[in-house]
Amino acid sequence: MRHKLLQSVGIAWTIIFAALIIWLYATEPRSVGDIGTRARVAVGTYEIDRARFDAARELFRREQYRAARDEWMRADPAARDPQTQFYIAYAFYREGWGRAYNDDALFRQGLETINRAIALAPDGALNVEDDADLKMRAAAELKAELENGLERTASDFSPLKLFRERK
Amino acid sequence: MNARLRSRNRALVRYLLLPTIFLAVALLGGLRVGAQTRAFVFIAPPLVTLVLATLLMLLLVRGRLIEIARWLSSEHAALSNVSHALTLGALFFASAQAFNSVLPERGLMRWMFSFFFLWTLWNNQFSSFNALRLLRSLAALFGTAFVLKHMLLASLAAPDGGWLKRLAGVVLEGITAGSIDVEQFAPATGYISFLTLALYVAGLILLPPAPNNGDDKDAPRAAEIVHSFERLPPPEQAIVRQSILLAAQLRAADASPDALETDSNRNFIEVD
Repeated sequence: MRHKLLQSVGIAWTIIFAALIIWLYATEPRSVGDIGTRARVAVGTYEIDRARFDAARELFRREQYRAARDEWMRADPAARDPQTQFYIAYAFYREGWGRAYNDDALFRQGLETINRAIALAPDGALNVEDDADLKMRAAAELKAELENGLERTASDFSPLKLFRERK
Repeated sequence: MNARLRSRNRALVRYLLLPTIFLAVALLGGLRVGAQTRAFVFIAPPLVTLVLATLLMLLLVRGRLIEIARWLSSEHAALSNVSHALTLGALFFASAQAFNSVLPERGLMRWMFSFFFLWTLWNNQFSSFNALRLLRSLAALFGTAFVLKHMLLASLAAPDGGWLKRLAGVVLEGITAGSIDVEQFAPATGYISFLTLALYVAGLILLPPAPNNGDDKDAPRAAEIVHSFERLPPPEQAIVRQSILLAAQLRAADASPDALETDSNRNFIEVD
C-alpha cells in the first residue's frame, strides 16, 4: 500500500517537474526574478508597474525617448502589456524620425515592437485614447507610419519632405 | 524492521530520488549564464545529443546497467510500468542534456566533439562491458569532455586571454592558428556543468539494474545475484559454484577443523 502511494507521488512529481522544465525552456526566463514574472503571466496575475509606466510617460513628454523606453521595459518586463508596447514603439518612432532621413535601425525596432503590441491586443485592435500628447492613437496608424519610414520611394528625394511634421 | 526500512528507502530512491536527479540534470544540462549580461540562456538539446543519448541508452542496456525487460514487463502492475517508464524517460533526457552540457554550442569544435562522442559510443557497442566498467568509462568520457570544453576551450577563447591562450601564444609565436569559434559564457556555466555531470554520474550509480518488486523485496540483492548467475555461460557458472563451495568449506572448517580436509578433497573432485 505504501509502495503504491510512493509510486503515485513519484509519478505526479515526475510529471510536474518535467512540465516545469519544458515551461522553462519554452519561456526562457533571463534571471531568477524573471521566472516569477513569467509564472505570473502563465497564471494570469501579471500586471505592469503603474508607477514606472507613469514615470516613463513623463520622460516621453520631455522627449527623453531612450530613458522612457528603458523605464517602460522595466514596467513591463515580460513585454505582455499592449499599451506599454505601443508606447515603446512610439518612442522608437519619435527618436528615429528625422526631417531629412529616418534612423532605419530604430524604425525596425519600432516596427517589431508595434507588431508585438498588435499581437497582444484583443482582436488585434489597439487604440490609446487617454493621452493628448500623442498624434497617432491607433496602433495600425503607427505601424503604417513606421513601414512608410522604412520604404525607399522616389518621394524620399522630394525637397517637400523637409516640411513634413513629426507625429 | 531493517528489511522494511531498506525496502522503503529503496522505493524512495527508485520512485522519487532517481527521477528528481535525472530531471535536474535535464534542466541544468542546457543552462548557460551569459558572459556580458549574466542572464540565463536555455539551450534545448540539439538533435545530435538525442542520437548520442540513444546510443548511450543502448550501451547501458548492453552493459547491463539497465535490464530493460525487468524495468518494463507485463508482469508488473500498470502503475509500476508507468513509474519505471518515466524514470527511464528521465534518464534518456538526462543523458541528452549531459551531452548538451559538454558540447560546444557552435563552430568546428562542436562537430569535432560530436564526432568523437559518436565514434566512442559506436565502438563501445561492440566491446564487452560490465556495469562497473561501463560506469567508469562514462565518468571518464564526460570528465574528459568537461575538461576540454570548460577549461581548455574556455581558456583559449577567453577575451582577456586565459592561461592556455598565453601559453599557446608563447609556443606558437609567429604562427597564426586563427580564432577559435567558441561562444563565451560566464564562469558560472562551468560550475553548473560540473554539478550536472556529478548529478548524472551519481544517478547512474544509484540506478539499480532492475527494479525490485514485491516478490523479492526481502532479499533483493540475492535475487539480483541469482539472476546474474543464471545469465552466465556454463563454464563461468562452474567457477562461481566452486568459489561458493570453497567459501562454505572454509566457514565449516572454522567450526570443525577436522572436517575441512576430507570435504574439500571431495568437492574438488566433483568440480573437476
